[in-house]
Amino acid sequence: MTEMMFRRLRLLCFAALSVGLLAACGGGDDAATPQQSAAPIDNSEEVQAYYAANPDFFSFKMPADIPQGLDWQNGSGLAEMGSPEAKKGGTEYRALQDFPRTLRIIGPDSNGGFRGMLLDDVTVPLGFRHREYFDFIPGLADAWARGEDGKTFYIKLDPRATYSDGVPVTVDDYMFMFWMFRSPYVTSPWYNNFYSTMFTNITRYDDYTMSISIPASKPDGEARVLGLRPMPRHFYKEVGEDFVDRYQWRFAPTTGPYVIEDGDLKKGRSITLTRIPDWWAKDKKHWRYRFNADKVRFTVIRDTEKIFEAFRRGDLDQSGLNLAEYWYEKLPDDAPEVAAGYIKKAVFYNQRPRPTYGLWINTARPLLDDQDIRLGINHASNWQLVIDKFFRGDYGRLRTEHDGFGEFTHPTLKAREFDIDKAQAYFAKAGFSQRGPDGILVNEAGQRLSFTLSSGYQSLKDVLTILKEEAAKAGLEFRIELLDGTASWKKVQEKQHDVHFSAFGVILEMYPRFWEHYHSDNAYDQAFLEDGSVNPERKIKTQTNNLESFADPEMDVMIERYRASDDKQEMIELAHNMSELHHEHGSFVPGFYQGFFRVGYWRWMQYPEEFSYKLAQGASELFVHWIDEDMKRETLEARKTGKTFEPSIKVYDRWKED
Amino acid sequence: MFKFNPQTLKKLHRFREIKRGYYSFLILAGMLLVLAFGELLVNSRAIVVKYEGQWYFPTYTAFYPGTDFGFDYSYEVNYRDLRDRFAEEGSDNWLIMPPVPYNAFENNGHGGVFRPTPPSAENQHYLGTDTTSRDILARLFYGTRIALVFSLAFTAWVYLIGISVGCAMGYFGGVFDLLFQRIIEIWSNIPFLYMVIIVFSVIPSTLSIPARIGILLAVMVLFSWTGMTYNMRTETYKEKARDYVAAARILGASDTRIVFRHILPNVLATLVTFMPFVVVSAIGAITALDFLGFGLPPPTPSLGELLKQGTANLRTAPWIVSAAFVTLVFLLTLITFIGEAVRESFDPKKFTVYR
Repeated sequence: MTEMMFRRLRLLCFAALSVGLLAACGGGDDAATPQQSAAPIDNSEEVQAYYAANPDFFSFKMPADIPQGLDWQNGSGLAEMGSPEAKKGGTEYRALQDFPRTLRIIGPDSNGGFRGMLLDDVTVPLGFRHREYFDFIPGLADAWARGEDGKTFYIKLDPRATYSDGVPVTVDDYMFMFWMFRSPYVTSPWYNNFYSTMFTNITRYDDYTMSISIPASKPDGEARVLGLRPMPRHFYKEVGEDFVDRYQWRFAPTTGPYVIEDGDLKKGRSITLTRIPDWWAKDKKHWRYRFNADKVRFTVIRDTEKIFEAFRRGDLDQSGLNLAEYWYEKLPDDAPEVAAGYIKKAVFYNQRPRPTYGLWINTARPLLDDQDIRLGINHASNWQLVIDKFFRGDYGRLRTEHDGFGEFTHPTLKAREFDIDKAQAYFAKAGFSQRGPDGILVNEAGQRLSFTLSSGYQSLKDVLTILKEEAAKAGLEFRIELLDGTASWKKVQEKQHDVHFSAFGVILEMYPRFWEHYHSDNAYDQAFLEDGSVNPERKIKTQTNNLESFADPEMDVMIERYRASDDKQEMIELAHNMSELHHEHGSFVPGFYQGFFRVGYWRWMQYPEEFSYKLAQGASELFVHWIDEDMKRETLEARKTGKTFEPSIKVYDRWKED
Repeated sequence: MFKFNPQTLKKLHRFREIKRGYYSFLILAGMLLVLAFGELLVNSRAIVVKYEGQWYFPTYTAFYPGTDFGFDYSYEVNYRDLRDRFAEEGSDNWLIMPPVPYNAFENNGHGGVFRPTPPSAENQHYLGTDTTSRDILARLFYGTRIALVFSLAFTAWVYLIGISVGCAMGYFGGVFDLLFQRIIEIWSNIPFLYMVIIVFSVIPSTLSIPARIGILLAVMVLFSWTGMTYNMRTETYKEKARDYVAAARILGASDTRIVFRHILPNVLATLVTFMPFVVVSAIGAITALDFLGFGLPPPTPSLGELLKQGTANLRTAPWIVSAAFVTLVFLLTLITFIGEAVRESFDPKKFTVYR
């Protein structure tokens, strides 16, 4: 769902999730107590008044007003997700590193790691991207069609759809959703802005038919609309001034299969999700073979090592083994549990937009504003060594900042290689040609070639020390600054960094974003004067994702054309040109990407034959696995008696990239 | 020249008689001496190189680029490669490497990947390597040195401030005493570890590593000096009321002179007995901070960082944690033994008749 993912961008990237264990992170356990005593309120009148006050946005029409001859789509013909062999039942055990701070899905603290279990991964949007074909499959919508203007989408809701409390999902819940996300009560400026500017209209035709409009026609326009999820208005009718406190620990009725039952929320300790036996989509194609476990139990275990030990003991069903250390040493192929066939190991190669692990160079800093210095840093960063020796050659070298977007990714650009001579030549061009007594280059003014290399990834601090050691060979000093995730995010948002190692989580969408990272509007206030020259008094703009302080009028022009374009071919061309310009600029040193995910799981945890899907991000993301309780009993018994099974270490490389 | 009075000499003599403490002291002193010249023992730079008739002593000098020794690179020469090359060529060139030919920062990666390797005399990794193939002995060695120097500096500062403030409180008494008591009560209620973590997290990284270590030291001292003051205060109160102080005052001695020449030597026993325990707590604190990731900036070698790595790889690389653990236990035991011996030898109950 687009907007959720926007929000999750930050979280993903700065929590180092992609290399850690399969554990969610969230808030602490010092949560506020729910305000049960708050008097009930009813906002229905206020909502109706709001609709009436904004007639351009909220329209009411009759079914006869729907245009004729629309090309209705329903994603039929795509192979079904999940396996027909999946068995329902059983309990799945998972770990949480932090207890969520709230059960709200919006408002302060709601952007934690457990949010996926409350919303993004389990509830049903209008349409869902098929993880193999990129096209949409029906969720709450039965069918959808793009209007003639290219900006309006007509949607027929599935009349069977209900919330977990039995109330049917109707168009009114979508209208209400817009009211709620635009209201100040939810204290989410981002939502207020996104739902006010990224949509222009919602029209109700009847209970199950509506249209939603977006401001401009884009090749992937349906993605924004089909990602929308309804808000149950009967549940949120008490939304008002005290929304944040009132809804802090209330579990909202969901369109998904899992609910939190009374007493299953043990604060600071555990949360249990329970599957609804008569879920409305239980027989719906693409949904019926997923969400198989009867219960999913999350236990809070704060230490990653302890999570792993709990997994090896069998207390948890599955553990991520993305880091080489875990795959090769902590759970090697000859580990007793693996050799005996109790624990299976699997690697699944995927193809999707890659998180942008690399060095983000702040070009607003002294010396780093010199292109030669930046190119020198590119050649002095030995990522290949990190990949070969630290990641044991499993990871790949990122080529550009926009890898994995198919034809939108530049076909030939490559990251600059580690080359001491080239690096020194560039540094010499910038005036750094002599080595000081410690081997670090100095210029004629006696200034050392030294920059701070900061990062918020505690788990990847070894990468920094390797880069530091190697850069010293080229006469470049990196001073390492390791911060915790929040502090590091704050630092780069304030643009206080020299060189920063991090990544933005990239969401599954058709084409990459450039405006956020490269538009001068996000680098400076008034970067350029009227005549196009650099504004000498420009000030750095903070709180944006332009971490490179990248400002180039040529880029701005291309970005604006790219944003306005509804022609896919033109956008592809622009994307390539922008990638080239960015590459020449040298302000980003592409690091690595992980072209797969790998897990270890107990043999009672079953996966479909192909294990996962081309576009999947993680093993359990799509809930296509199931728990075989008989096999669990058998395995636990076998562990006692010493009986063994055939070991299983599988590599699914159908989608492996070169 | 400072001359010990007979009583102090007696105490020192008594200290020598307590064998456990005395030998611990000798071992620790020896260790400090060895650590002081550590660059000659644990280093990736050769001790001496004879190349084409020229002598080189790279240990304490500026770096020599590879080109100086006929390599084609301009960064620091790898002396281990140079040693191997000399051996191959069979020329008159030779060099002597330190017994442990690694520094604390290099990623060696003998097996082609960076991972912990078990102790091996063949590779000269006598205690194995850590998760990024750095030599554990080298990291342990320099980590210990930093911890010891750090804790000694910490002790010196805590004593200086603690003694000054404590003595002043006891000696001047009255409003001054009351005021400082309240200040100290408030100050010592600030949780030390959290404050260190908070303050240290806002220190800009543009500073050099020694400067950042210096700031960490300052912050720790700032929140640790209070404990010393109360002992000093009471001792000074007690001594101040004695006749010899009154006599000194009548003779016209200044306050400073009375405090430092007359009172201080008489409360020495209390001071000295606390000292080893302050050192122990300083080592403990710096290790704990490193373990939590808030201590010395990476890649500074430290005991806490090794312990952290070790506990994370308990199953797969037990040599990491055992090396760090044994060192820490050994160090703390030595200092505790010294502390006990000092306390015993300075115990007034055994040596003083009049109290």
